[in-house]
Amino acid sequence: MTRLPVLKGTLDLLVLRALNWTPMHGFEIVSWLERAGNGSLELEDSALYQAVYRLEERGLLQADWGVTENNRRARYYKITAAGRTHLRAETRNWMSYADTVTMILTAAQDATPPRAAT
Amino acid sequence: MIRGGVRRAFRLALRRRDRWEREVEDEIKLHLALRVEQLIAQGQNADDAYAEAIRRFGPLSQSRARLLAAARHREHQMQRTEFLSDLRQDVAFAFRTLRRQKGWTAVTVLTLALGIGATTAVFSVVSSLLLHAVPYPSPDRVMLVEQQPGMGNNTGIRVSMNPPPAVVRAWRAGSHTFDTLEPYRRSTVSLRTDADPAEISASWILPSFAAFAGERPIRGRLFSAAEMENHARVALVSEGLWRTRYGADDATLGRTMTLNDSTYTIIGVMPAALRLPSAGWDPSDVWLPLDIQNNRVGLHVVGRLRAGATTVAAARELDTLSAHSGVAADGQSIFQTNVISPAERIGFRDSLLMLTAAVALVLLVACANVAHLMLARAATRHRELAIRAALGAGRVRIFRQLATESLLLTFAGAAAGVLFGWLGLRAMVALRPSQLVELSVAHLDRTTLVVTVLLAVASGLAFSVIGGMQSSRHSTNEALKAGSLATSHARGQDRLRSLLVISEMALSAMLIVGATLLIRSIINMQRSDRGFNPKGLYAITPQLPVKRFPTTAARTEFFQALSTRLRAVGRVRDVALSAVAPGSRSFSVGTLEIEGEPSAVGANPTAFIDVNSVEPRWFAMMGVRLVEGSTFTDTSKTNSQVIVNAAFARKHWSPGQALGHRLRVVYQGNGDWNTIVGVAADASPAGQNSSAPMFYQPLVDPGPGTAVMVRADAGGDLVTPVRALIHSMDPQMASPSIESTETLLSRALAGPRFTMLLLGAFTLLALVLAGVGLYGVMAYSVAQRTREIGIRMALGASQGSIARIVIVRGVVLAAIGAIVGLAGAYWTTRLIVTMLYRVAPLDAASFAAGAATLLGAAMIACVVPTRRALAVDPITAIRAD
Repeated sequence: MTRLPVLKGTLDLLVLRALNWTPMHGFEIVSWLERAGNGSLELEDSALYQAVYRLEERGLLQADWGVTENNRRARYYKITAAGRTHLRAETRNWMSYADTVTMILTAAQDATPPRAAT
Repeated sequence: MIRGGVRRAFRLALRRRDRWEREVEDEIKLHLALRVEQLIAQGQNADDAYAEAIRRFGPLSQSRARLLAAARHREHQMQRTEFLSDLRQDVAFAFRTLRRQKGWTAVTVLTLALGIGATTAVFSVVSSLLLHAVPYPSPDRVMLVEQQPGMGNNTGIRVSMNPPPAVVRAWRAGSHTFDTLEPYRRSTVSLRTDADPAEISASWILPSFAAFAGERPIRGRLFSAAEMENHARVALVSEGLWRTRYGADDATLGRTMTLNDSTYTIIGVMPAALRLPSAGWDPSDVWLPLDIQNNRVGLHVVGRLRAGATTVAAARELDTLSAHSGVAADGQSIFQTNVISPAERIGFRDSLLMLTAAVALVLLVACANVAHLMLARAATRHRELAIRAALGAGRVRIFRQLATESLLLTFAGAAAGVLFGWLGLRAMVALRPSQLVELSVAHLDRTTLVVTVLLAVASGLAFSVIGGMQSSRHSTNEALKAGSLATSHARGQDRLRSLLVISEMALSAMLIVGATLLIRSIINMQRSDRGFNPKGLYAITPQLPVKRFPTTAARTEFFQALSTRLRAVGRVRDVALSAVAPGSRSFSVGTLEIEGEPSAVGANPTAFIDVNSVEPRWFAMMGVRLVEGSTFTDTSKTNSQVIVNAAFARKHWSPGQALGHRLRVVYQGNGDWNTIVGVAADASPAGQNSSAPMFYQPLVDPGPGTAVMVRADAGGDLVTPVRALIHSMDPQMASPSIESTETLLSRALAGPRFTMLLLGAFTLLALVLAGVGLYGVMAYSVAQRTREIGIRMALGASQGSIARIVIVRGVVLAAIGAIVGLAGAYWTTRLIVTMLYRVAPLDAASFAAGAATLLGAAMIACVVPTRRALAVDPITAIRAD
């Protein structure tokens, strides 16, 4: 199986998606992404923390110290209201972008030019 | 544990730096540990698992550095966001609070604005004129070089001589204390064109002057060495002349212009910024090569001292050089060199320094008032602050809130102050008397503005915070309890405020005394008997070109013809010639000897002796009474008659004894005896001290600058017919200066009057501010004592006794202020003694006026608080709180 490098800008989106369900600490987010992506995403773990800090700085995430089930102190990240709004908007953008790209790539085989997707 | 969000929401202590660094480390450690556990659970051995965990995390040291950087960025960003949102909240809150107290806010802003405005305007003038007197590079080392009579000067006015070219050459060749010495000369020349002849101002310089002044021609070039050598007739025109007269045309270069009958070739254009080192002079219209070898005319000299050289050392060096320059035969120059800063030559200097001091006092009063207003407000907000403290606002938060409020206030004040300052400066420039030409170059000074605003902001901030902090520190419990305002701290603040008001009163008292002294001086000047009749008197000074009127005979003929023809002009009643017009003085240089009196040992060989040369009819025509004897009966040199003034006669003889005595002025061993034929009343044409000894001699050799004095009947313009008359007599002559003596006299008063006007304005300002201060203290004290007053009323105190309580307190404060202020005035009025005219610096009337005005203002300030006290309703007052 080939590993896919994470496209620039999409990591933020993935992290927000991960946290949309419940607050998690860093390793939980990494594990979630590995599970959800079937291990096909190529990503250094440290890059995730950078993304998390960036999101926190923009007020899309909020961090608080909490305790893991094994009683270890961990920094838990929670999505903020702004983060949710951002996630919704960016997801929509990404979907429509991906659709368009997909459509163009598949339609290129046909003789007729593709109709513009709106 | 308080969560971060809560922390931020309640503005509690922020995370410290080592804290978030440790957090990043902890996070990395936890991540690696969890990953290792996961891998071991999947069946790897511990060593492999650890290596794999790090591989997946990324190169450890680089990753850690990146994460730390990201975390730092995040923390800074979040702090900033938090700060801005707090600030927005504080500003909004401050706006609301200030809007609720409109009166207080307006008074505070106005106080600040007036203080800042007045100070900025005056300091801008000082900065432009005194601190930046010359627009040259390294201005602190630029010095004027002058000479003065070696034995000092007895005239009471400044006498300076322009050193002769030979001396200047010796200085330039030999000086080590000066980097550069630039001689220059300045005069009016007639620019002759067919269409529009004009008098323009010309400056003669060496080509090196431009570099000295940090400028160079904007078109064309400077004089070449060959042109200097050959005395070539070349000229550079000023940018102004080039634009107005030559239409800024580049083809101007190479053209010729006729100046005083000589033709010059224009070789360049000098920038408008180039000017000679005296701010009072009109800008030069044309720059000509200076012939430094020509020994006929003295030169002005300006130079730049070598870094580290002192003016004293420089003067000594130049003295040595001039003694050996060959000008003084005995190697002992009778002139002394002065090396002085151009700022000392600003005519308005004394007045400016005095006004600076005055405006500094005004600023102090304004600052005291602001402090005082802030304290008053803090006292009223005592309870509000206590409540906020009780609700958990930290001291830092309260401090920030108070600081924001006072900053907002002071910024508003500063903005209005800048406007006032600008308007004030414009007003000063517009109202300036014509002889204060220097004032026209003054502009708003940025440094001054910044310093003044900072000062005002600092005083506002300091006192609002001190007051606020005092309040909030005070036991919250106590503050929240009703009716507990009269705590010890409130009394302490009361004392501080009384002290502030007393100082405001004292500063105002000083200003009132100073202003009264100046006003009395001016009244005295206006009322003083000048000893002559200025009504309808004109001084006409034709500009005779020496070239065309080289001899006494030629000049005498011209002036006689002019007199005759002037008498024929309709309104003219009489005409007489004199060497100088009123407003000017002329001197004989030498030692005055009186026959029969032993000449003083070591007498000043170059004393300046006041003398005017006049026609015999001059006395009658001017209205100068002859107390004894008669006017000149014989004007021939052989007979040598003189007339002394009454002061001269008083000084040397008992009354009635002057006639027949002989006097002479000895200069370098020569001097003819003159016989006194008359004693004239003291006359003060210059509007100054009329009792200085002087004498008159017959006018036998009218110089090119001889004044033609004309007495005319009232009505109509005299200037135009006289100009036309002189033009018809000699069409090539530049138009003469014609001045009305009445105008001249009022102009002589204009300077002092201007100073007085400004000082008066500042005094009024300080007085109003101090009055506002006193009003504040009184109003506060009445509010505080409402219950006490109510009880007194209930017990049957009369209205009069209640009013007395209030007024006595106000008057006591004012009286203490007045005493301190008059004591201050006692020490400071001596500093303005040179500006006073026939008023002693300790003039009792002025001091009394100071005290009376202050007490009057205090009474006015007490009116409203007294009314308020009288309006207290005993029942409500006792029940309240």
